[in-house]
Amino acid sequence: MSKVVKAKYTAEAVAGFTHRTAMEEAARCLLCLDAPCSKGCPAGTDPGKFIRSIRFRNAKGAAETIRENNILGGTCARICPYDHLCEEFCSRCGIDRPIEIGKLQRYAMEQEKAYKMQILKAPAKKKNARVACVGAGPASLACAAELAKEGYRVTIFEKEEKPGGVLTYGITPSRLPQAVVDQDIAQVKKLGVKFVMNTEVGKDVNLEEMDFDAVFVGAGLWGTRLPDIKGTDLKGVYTAIDFLKTARTKKTEFKPGKAVVVVGGGDVAIDCAVSAKLLGAEDVKIVYRRTLEEAPANMDEWHYAMSLGIGVTTNMAPAELMGEKKLAFAVFNGRDKKSGLKLACDTIVFAIGQKPEDMKKITSAKLNEKGGIAAKSTGKTNLAKVFAAGDIVNGGKTVVEAVAEGKEAAYSIMKYLEKKGVK
Amino acid sequence: MAVKKDLSIEYLGVQCENPFFLSSSPVGSDYDMVAKCYEEGWGGVFYKTVGFWIPDECSPRFDQNNKEGLPWVGFKNMEMISDKPTEYNFQQMRKLKRDYPDKIMVASIMGENEKEWRELAIMAEQAEADLIEGNFSCPQMTTHAMGSDVGTNPELVEKYSKAVSQATKVPFIAKMTPNITTMEIAAQAAVRGGAKGVSAINTIKSITNIDFENNTGMPVVDGKSSISGYSGAAVRPIALRFCAQMLQDKKLKNIPVSGIGGIETWRDAVEFLMIGCRNIQVTTAIMQYGYRIVEDMISGTSHFMDERGYEKLDDFVGLALPNLVPAEEIRRTFKILPSFDLKKCIGCGRCYVSCYDGAHQAIGWDEKKRRPTLDEKKCVGCHLCLNVCPVQGCIGAGEVKWLPDKLKKFGDKRNKVAMKHFYE
Repeated sequence: MSKVVKAKYTAEAVAGFTHRTAMEEAARCLLCLDAPCSKGCPAGTDPGKFIRSIRFRNAKGAAETIRENNILGGTCARICPYDHLCEEFCSRCGIDRPIEIGKLQRYAMEQEKAYKMQILKAPAKKKNARVACVGAGPASLACAAELAKEGYRVTIFEKEEKPGGVLTYGITPSRLPQAVVDQDIAQVKKLGVKFVMNTEVGKDVNLEEMDFDAVFVGAGLWGTRLPDIKGTDLKGVYTAIDFLKTARTKKTEFKPGKAVVVVGGGDVAIDCAVSAKLLGAEDVKIVYRRTLEEAPANMDEWHYAMSLGIGVTTNMAPAELMGEKKLAFAVFNGRDKKSGLKLACDTIVFAIGQKPEDMKKITSAKLNEKGGIAAKSTGKTNLAKVFAAGDIVNGGKTVVEAVAEGKEAAYSIMKYLEKKGVK
Repeated sequence: MAVKKDLSIEYLGVQCENPFFLSSSPVGSDYDMVAKCYEEGWGGVFYKTVGFWIPDECSPRFDQNNKEGLPWVGFKNMEMISDKPTEYNFQQMRKLKRDYPDKIMVASIMGENEKEWRELAIMAEQAEADLIEGNFSCPQMTTHAMGSDVGTNPELVEKYSKAVSQATKVPFIAKMTPNITTMEIAAQAAVRGGAKGVSAINTIKSITNIDFENNTGMPVVDGKSSISGYSGAAVRPIALRFCAQMLQDKKLKNIPVSGIGGIETWRDAVEFLMIGCRNIQVTTAIMQYGYRIVEDMISGTSHFMDERGYEKLDDFVGLALPNLVPAEEIRRTFKILPSFDLKKCIGCGRCYVSCYDGAHQAIGWDEKKRRPTLDEKKCVGCHLCLNVCPVQGCIGAGEVKWLPDKLKKFGDKRNKVAMKHFYE
């Protein structure tokens, strides 16, 4: 048996529950009064209720509880940072370890699929108002679904070939299989939301010329970022988004190189490293400029990366990339200003955050200092009919927060349209 | 060195190396099985019931009941007596007795009439069985002349017990059915007929689950199912009750009882010994886990004796029996309040929910601190909270509150209240 895990790129990192193991886990749940876990979800998921449903042999009821609240219930079950959300609040922490809430949510969502449940239904009678959503990522999907449930006519414009945004192009499939994303998106489609793909707003279409009653911008952060150091123009230098997107599109056709260095400390950095390793890189290292304690990625994710044999070095920031046309070495300086590191490598991936693309092409709404859209927590911008939420507003947070914000924006849109007298 | 105690016990004049026996069932139905169980440490076997009547068994024949993912809370069995030839079974018994002379062989038999009972008893004696058990209790026989239909009829029990007892000198044990209101009546009938001991309980008539596809019970046998015997952990409390009542019955005085029903651990076995059983029989736990469970029965009982200073089983057999009294004899002059260790409390609120919905609304709930509070006036000391608390050592037994009005009847005499010591 190997000390490290040998997995395929498309194989799931963690096996799900069966009926039996789900019941065993649900039996560990204390079924708390006024369950604290249910207060830990930004999107308002109620684990106290859905775990109780599983415990009392009502997996279908559990699926309903999750899906009615979160259009991306399947996705969130896979990628949510539970350890500092619901699971951190779990009372069982006081006895031994929290209930595996995310995994139980995954089980419930798998039952939805297994039983071919159609939980969400749009009203037969549609409202007259038409809403456009820019981008088919988490915030837009959540906003669109919420509106469609109330009978609004929603169209999503997406520049890529497939919907999902970061879910489809920016996360390694071992952590989030495409089938899970597709199952969630299918729910949005079944609500009657129209998807216009391969269409970039501001380039292929101009929303202001089209007669939408309201516009929601959930464009995400797709502007890439490289550090301001020498050598970033060498062959073998990637930004995280480009690297992950290439991996997800080409799958095993993609050869990431033999010696790969990933720079960053978030989930995206780990996704890059895991993708590189699973796609056959011989040696993969993550180098992060701060400590693990400060790193935004989940501890579970670090453990997973290490279980694959990926090395981690902390307190080292990139200083220079060297090579003749092709990358040969990456040089790092220590945070202590005394240490240093020179790594021979043929590929380096910078997962040091994304920035907004040019939002002016999409809307004339006011922008924030980072170039994202300036919007309130209600999703309102300075323009009455333009709303925005998700990464493009908050600068890049979790999927579950994008869902929560997208829903919030949908309620604001409904209020706005109701005021305008839409029927 | 591992703690080892003398677990030997005299049972119906037979010296047993330990009281742990297989009960008459699929777990002891031929030479190889029984030889293996002996090697692993069982003291003896009630060999699978032998009759002249050979059953025709169904497939599937088992089902089990689970709770919160815990399987085998209870187990349902449709298998009847041995389907091997009568002579063959007795040959196996004789060979086992000769190869393992220190192990105890009990021949379990079941006839359809007095003649058959007599003949089976003689065959058992010729097979050199140490004891004979009469199966008056199998609830899933396909003939009504046998099994629990006999065991619920005291006249038949007496008649067949007499047939066996007159045919042989081997002590006869009558195996009782719990599918009856009062087991003592049938047990007394057996003793009148000459039985020297009783064993209880056989399985309880049951329907474990309903299959929603075939609209019948489980197991589904070609679209149909039948009521049949239920055993396993779920029936242990019922078995203890029947055994204790027979042991307390004046007419059954000095009739040894072999305890059967849901025994899995040394603790379960010791419980039956504590109420006065001199022999222990196991099947369901073996079907689930194998013969090896006897290792921990032997070791666990030895440790129990070691920690309490018992040298032999007779030091504690029956100790609990006199303390099992009718409900009207229980003292009701005090209430024991629960005590809450709020440092251990994890704030789940289960005690509050159960006290409100299932008891006396005596527990309040501090929503901010997520901690319970106790209203001592409303609390009746029922200890429901203590039973639902998931944290070990959080809710325990606290202050004893005397009830002055009730105490008056007893001349205000406040005895020292004996309480449970260890809450696991």
